[in-house]
Amino acid sequence: MNILSGIDVTAGALNAQKTRLDIVAQNIANAQTTRGPDGLPYQRKTVSFETELLRNTKAGGASLQSVHVGKISPDTTPGARVYDPSHPDAQKDGFVNMPNVNMAFEMVDLMSASRAYEANLSVVKNSRQMALKAMEIGK
Amino acid sequence: MIDPIFQSDNYLLARKLLDGAVLRQEAIASNIANAETPGYRRLDVAADFASQLRSKLESGTLAQNKDSLAPSLIEDPHARTLRPDGNTVEIEKELLEMNRNTVEHDFLTELVSRNIKQMKMAISGRMV
Repeated sequence: MNILSGIDVTAGALNAQKTRLDIVAQNIANAQTTRGPDGLPYQRKTVSFETELLRNTKAGGASLQSVHVGKISPDTTPGARVYDPSHPDAQKDGFVNMPNVNMAFEMVDLMSASRAYEANLSVVKNSRQMALKAMEIGK
Repeated sequence: MIDPIFQSDNYLLARKLLDGAVLRQEAIASNIANAETPGYRRLDVAADFASQLRSKLESGTLAQNKDSLAPSLIEDPHARTLRPDGNTVEIEKELLEMNRNTVEHDFLTELVSRNIKQMKMAISGRMV
């Protein structure tokens, strides 16, 4: 048993949500990148979470589950083709392959990730308060 | 010799309920961490813990059974969801429950604390 109850569950979730925020930041930063290291337009990355079985509680009850980042995979749907012959990455027909980043999707993802992060932080705050109180027993 | 003094029903109940509060905090932490995990079913402290405590208290056998009573976690059987991913966590409800649980924990620690303070007072004969 931890002094801060549930802290290892929350730590996993905080870490996972932070990775998700990082990936959203990367997607937004590369929203206009038409040439990556492989010469192709940037493909937006998506994060998938996995549950992580922490431990079985005594008396055979349900077990605690934390989360961690399972996979960061590229979204392979094609991006928009924009007609811009003056663009350095324009193809022979004058069209440029843009990245498949959708700003609206990314912003929504950003918001839900940061809200989830905040919810987990408030768990840490409450656990801490409980631990402090428990240490005051008898004082 | 000091043992029987800590066998009072109030003190034992507070101790057991504190165990329950700590375990519930872990369950809520797990629920909030998995708020977006598809198919996750929310955890809670098994309801039979409270009913067992009550029946033992009413039959006056709380002190004999104090070691066998322990809270356990179960998947909440009453949780329903309308979410397409089958997850039964409602984050607002969990946050409310967490705050309620913290207040309960504060109250119980205070109760245990007061019990011990009274004991100290009885031993030393002065306010501590």
